Amino acid sequence: MAEESILTDDFIRQLINVGEVDLLVGLPTHNNAKTVETVIKAVQAGLLKCFPRERTAILNVDGGSKDGTPDVVTGASINDLRRVYNIHALRTLPSISTRYASSPSSETSLHTILSAAELLRAKACAVISPESLNIEPEWVVKLLRPVYQDNADFVAPIYRRHKFEGVLVSNVVYPMTRALYGQRIREPYASEFGFSGRFGSLFLTQHSWRHEPGQFGTELEMTLNAITGGYKVSQAFLGTKSRSEHHPDDLVAAMRQTVGVLFSSLEPNFATWSAVDGSKPISTVGPEYEVTLDPLRVNRKRLKDMFSAGVGELESVLRSILSQSTFEALQQIAALDEETCRYPAELWAKTVYEFAASYHKSVISRDHIVQALVPLYRGRMFTFLVENRTASAEQIENGIEFLCREFERLRPYLLEVWNGGK
Amino acid sequence: MAPEQGALWYKNAVIYQVHVRGFYDNNGDGIGDFEGLAQKLDYLRELGIDAIWLMPFFPSPLRDDGYDISDYTSVHPSYGTLEDFKQFLLAAHERSIRVIVEMVLNHTSDQHAWFQESRSSQDNPRRDWYVWSDTDSRYRGTRIIFIDTEMSNWAWDPISKSYYWHRFFSHQPDLNYDNPIVREQMWSVMKFWLELGIDGFRLDAVPYLVEREGTSCENLPETHDIIKELRRRLDREFPGRMLLAEANQWPADLRPYFGDGDEFHMAFHFPLMPRMFMGVKLEDRKPITEILQQTPEIPDSCQWGLFLRNHDELTLEMVTDIERDYMYDSYALSKTMRINLGIRRRLAPLLDNDRRRIELMNGMLMSLPGTPIIYYGDEIGMGDNVNLGDRNGVRTPMQWSGGWNGGFSTADPESLYAPLLLNPVFGFQAINVLSQKRSEHSLLSWMKHLIRLRKSTPAFGSGSIEFLYPANHRVLAYIRKLSNETILVVNNLSSSAQAVELDLRAFKGNILIEMFGKNLFPRIGNNPYLLTMGPYQFFWFRLRQI
Amino acid sequence: MRELIVGELSQAAQEIIRGFAHFLPRLIEMLVIAFVGWVIAYLAKWIFRSILRLVKFDKLSENTGASQFLNQAALPSPTELVSRFVFWVAWLGFIMLGVSVLGIGGLQQHISRFFLFVPRLFVTLFIIFFGLLLAGFFSRAALLAAVNANFPSPRLLSISIRAISIIFVLSMALEELGLAEQTMRLAFGIAFGAVMLGLAIAFGMGGKDLARQFLERRLVHERKGEKEEEPSPL
Repeated sequence: MAEESILTDDFIRQLINVGEVDLLVGLPTHNNAKTVETVIKAVQAGLLKCFPRERTAILNVDGGSKDGTPDVVTGASINDLRRVYNIHALRTLPSISTRYASSPSSETSLHTILSAAELLRAKACAVISPESLNIEPEWVVKLLRPVYQDNADFVAPIYRRHKFEGVLVSNVVYPMTRALYGQRIREPYASEFGFSGRFGSLFLTQHSWRHEPGQFGTELEMTLNAITGGYKVSQAFLGTKSRSEHHPDDLVAAMRQTVGVLFSSLEPNFATWSAVDGSKPISTVGPEYEVTLDPLRVNRKRLKDMFSAGVGELESVLRSILSQSTFEALQQIAALDEETCRYPAELWAKTVYEFAASYHKSVISRDHIVQALVPLYRGRMFTFLVENRTASAEQIENGIEFLCREFERLRPYLLEVWNGGK
Repeated sequence: MAPEQGALWYKNAVIYQVHVRGFYDNNGDGIGDFEGLAQKLDYLRELGIDAIWLMPFFPSPLRDDGYDISDYTSVHPSYGTLEDFKQFLLAAHERSIRVIVEMVLNHTSDQHAWFQESRSSQDNPRRDWYVWSDTDSRYRGTRIIFIDTEMSNWAWDPISKSYYWHRFFSHQPDLNYDNPIVREQMWSVMKFWLELGIDGFRLDAVPYLVEREGTSCENLPETHDIIKELRRRLDREFPGRMLLAEANQWPADLRPYFGDGDEFHMAFHFPLMPRMFMGVKLEDRKPITEILQQTPEIPDSCQWGLFLRNHDELTLEMVTDIERDYMYDSYALSKTMRINLGIRRRLAPLLDNDRRRIELMNGMLMSLPGTPIIYYGDEIGMGDNVNLGDRNGVRTPMQWSGGWNGGFSTADPESLYAPLLLNPVFGFQAINVLSQKRSEHSLLSWMKHLIRLRKSTPAFGSGSIEFLYPANHRVLAYIRKLSNETILVVNNLSSSAQAVELDLRAFKGNILIEMFGKNLFPRIGNNPYLLTMGPYQFFWFRLRQI
Repeated sequence: MRELIVGELSQAAQEIIRGFAHFLPRLIEMLVIAFVGWVIAYLAKWIFRSILRLVKFDKLSENTGASQFLNQAALPSPTELVSRFVFWVAWLGFIMLGVSVLGIGGLQQHISRFFLFVPRLFVTLFIIFFGLLLAGFFSRAALLAAVNANFPSPRLLSISIRAISIIFVLSMALEELGLAEQTMRLAFGIAFGAVMLGLAIAFGMGGKDLARQFLERRLVHERKGEKEEEPSPL
C-alpha cells in the first residue's frame, strides 16, 4: 500500500535544486509576514557569518498563510546583508518554501522539515520560530554549532524570560521531565531548537505521524525522544524570548500539548524512567537561567476562584483520578481564603504523578484526565505567583529547584501508583 | 606575409602564453631560444591557437624573470639574436600565428644604462628619467605590491644619495612619465618592435605609470592620457595592432583603460579567474555570476582577456578575506604553495589532476565572454614544482616527450635553466606532448577539439551573454548570442550528478544540437527544459530553428 | 381382562419405546448438531480473533475511543468481545437448528420468531450499552469544559446533558425493540420537554448572573482602559 507523501512534487523539485546541504534551518509559519522578515535576515546573517563555507539552506513550511508569508521568505535576498551586517556571502543561500494542505499544525511542519533534512542529508538542522522578534544572528549559530561541531544530537534553548512567563513549563514540564528522565532541560517544549541529521532521521522513521489538524506538541515528543534514545543533548542560552503568540493562551490546549504528551510518553518509556535515579545537568552554552523581574499585573483572585470552583465542581471526576488522601488535602486547600491558600510543592508533585498513573490506566477518557488537571494547575500557578511576588531571580530559581527535587524525591511514588490500585 | 589584418582579430582569437626560455632549446645550452620556438610553431598551429604572447625576452639581469629590462631593443643572448627573433616572427606569420610581445613600460632594471646614468649624479641629463626624492615620505597613500619582500616603495641609492621610487622590486626603478622625453623614448621602443612586424603588445603594470601626491598613485588620469597618446600613435602608424593591458584591478576600475575604445584593445579580467576556481570548489555558481554581473560593459571594439593560469601566482588580491582564506584552504593548504596574496600553482595540480574538472574549467574559459589565454603546458596538464623559489615552479621546461630532458633540450639535465618535473604523476614521462598526440582521448587532443569549436563559433568571442538562473545553484548556465547564432552553455559545477530545469521559453521551438558530438536534443517546449548532468559535466548547445 | 391390560400396557410400552426409538435418533442428531455447532462456532471464533488481531482491530478501536469505554466498563478487549459474540451467535444458531430437528410442534414457530428477535435484541443492548457510556462521556466533557471556561453552574449543565442523553438512548432502545411505541414516544416527549423547561428556567436564573458578570467585566475593563496581563503558560 503506497503511503501518501506529505511532500508535494513541486517541493521535491525545490529540494533537488537545493541539493545536499550541511546545515538546514526550518521556519514553520502561518500568517507571519510582519515578523518573518526580521527573523529570516537574522538567520541568513547568522549562517553566512559563522558558517560561510558550509552549504546551507532555509526552509519555510507554511500552513496556508493569507498574508504572503512564503513570498517574504523566498524573496529575502542575501545581497542586502552586506549593508546591515557587513557580510559578503561566499556561496548561495537558497530559501525555499512549501505549503502543506492541512490546517496549521506544528506536527506537519516538523514532519516536513525532518523529511527535507533527511532528503538534503543535512548534518545539522535548526528550527526557528518566525515570531522571535528579538532574534539575533547568533541564535541560529548557537543552536547549530553544538550539533555541527561538538557532536550533539539535540540542542534545547534557554531564554531570558519574565519570571511569570512559562509557569506551566517551570512547574510541570521541566520538573517532571527532569525527575523522570534524569536530564535537566529547561525548555523541553520550545519553538526553537537544533538537532543532528542522525537523530532527525531516526525520529522521522520512529515517530507515528498522525497528521490530525491542529496537532501540536511534537516538539516535546522530539525532546523526550532525544533523552530516552540516549542521544547527546545540550542547551544553549539564546536571549530574550519575546512573548509568543504561537502558544495558546488557552490553558487546556497548552496542557494537552505539554502534559498530555508527557503523560503519553511514560508508557512506552517505562523501562527508562523506572530506572532513573536523580538527575544530571547537561552541557550548556551560556547561563542556565535568567529572568526579568518587571512588575506584571495578574488577576490572582481569579486564579484562586477558578481553582476552588474546579475542585468543588469536578469532585466526581477528581475522585476517579486522585487518591483519597490527595483529594481530601486538595479540598482543604481549596476551602482556604486567598491569603492562606497555598498549593505546596509536595502535594503538587503527588497530584501530577497520580494524574499520570490514572492516565496510564485510562480510568476515564485520557483527554478528560488532562483537562481535569487544568483547574488544579491554576491553583499551583496562583501559589507560584503569590510566593514569588517580590522574589529575586535567585529566589525564584531556588523555588523551582526545590520543586524539582520534590518531583525527584517522589518518583518512587509514581512507580507505586503506576501499577497499584488507587 | 603577415596574417590578414581583420581589425578585430583579437576578439575571436585564442592566445597562447609562452616564455621563450621554457619552450624548446635548439642550441643545447639548457635554455629555450627563438630558433627552438620557431621549430615548435607547427605544434602550436596544430593546437589551433591564433596568437603567441611572448613573455619578456629582452636583455636583463633576470632578477624578476625578465621583467627587469636592461635593453629594450635587443634580445637576451640566451634566447638568440634579434635576427633569430625576426626569423621566428616570419615563420609564425607564415602559419597565420600572430605574435604579441610583452613590454614593461613602468620600470627598467637598475642595470639599464638609463638608470646608471640617472643615478650617476644629481645633474645628469637623464636624472629626470626616474622618480627621485630626498625623503622616503612622499606618496604615502600608495600600497606595496610585493608585501613578502619589499618594505617601502622607496629605495635608497647610495651613489646619488637619494631615494628612488619603485612599485615592484627595489631593483626595478620606475620611469618618470611626467618627463616628455621619457614618453617619447618609450614610444620609439614600441615603434622599433612594431616596425619589425609584431602584432601587439601586452603592456605590463600600466596603472602605475604616473605618481601624484595624496593619491594611491594607481589609475591616475595622467596615466590614461599617456595611454591614449600611445594608442593614437599606434592606430595612425600601425593599424590592426593590438594593446593588451595588464592591470590587476577590479573590473569597474579597469573599465577606464578601455576608454571610449581609444585606450587598450584588451585587458585581463583578473577577478574572474579566482572565482572560477572558487565556484568549482564551492559547487556554487554565485561567485562567477556575481563578478560577471559587476563587470561593466565595454566598447564593442574591446575585449576581456580570460585565463585560468598564467606565469604569475593565482592572485587573490581581488577577493574578500573570507574568500581568500577559503581559496587558500581549498587550493593551497601547504604554505609553500602560497606567495604574496596568491597561489603559485599550475592548472592541473590545482584541480587535483582531475580530468573532468580540467575540462570543465577550460570549457568555461572558452565560452565566457572574452579571449581565452592558455598558459603553455596547461594544454597537456603539466604540473608544477612548489620547491622552486618565487614563481619559478610554474615556469619549468615544456614536456615534449618521455625522452632526454623531456625532449626540451639536449643539454645535460643539470644545466637546464630549471629542473624538469620528475614525479610519477606530473613528470615528463607521464605527461608529455608526444604521448598525448598519440591518443585521441588525451587532454591535448581534447583541447584541440575544444579550441576548434571555440573558433568556429564567433558568438563566444563577440556575442552577448545572458545568464539563466536555474533554481539549482550548482549549475551555471548562459546564452551566448551573436546575430542569428545562439549558443546555450550549461556547466555543472558540482562533483555529483545534478538535475537542472532551464527556463528556455524565450527559445521555444528550437532544437538543441550538442556541439561536441553534433547530436540532437529534444525541442524546447513550454515546460522547463530538464537536463541531467554528470559530475563536472558541461554542455555546449547550438540552438537551431528548423 | 388381564390379557387386555397386558396387551394395552405392552402396546403402550411398545408405543413409548417406538416413540422413544423414533425420538432418540433425533435427539442424538440434535446433540450431534449442537456439538458440531460448538466446534464450528469455536473455529469461527478462533478465525475471527486471528483476523481481527491481524488487522489490528484493537488499535483501530483505540483510535475511535471504543476501547476506553470498554476499559471503563471492565469489559475485555474489542477483539475478544467481537469474537465471543460471533461464537455465541453461531452456537445458538446451531442449537436452535438442533431443537427444530426434534420436531416438537409449535416450538418451530417460536424458534423462528426468536431468530427474528435476536438481532433486534442485540442492537438494543448495543444501543443501551454505548448510549450510557456516551452519556457519561458527554456529561463529563461538558463539565470539564464548563469548569475550565469558568462557566457558572457546570454541574447543572453536566447533569442535564446526561439526563437528555439517557432519555434519548432509552427511547431509541425501546423503539428498536418495537415495544409500546406510541407510549414511549409520548413519554419521551414529555420527559424531554420537562428537562428543557428545567434547563430554560435554570439558564434564566443562572444566566442573570452570567449576563451581569459579562456586562460588568466589559464595562469595568473599558473604564480601566487596560487589560490585566496574563502571562503565557509556555
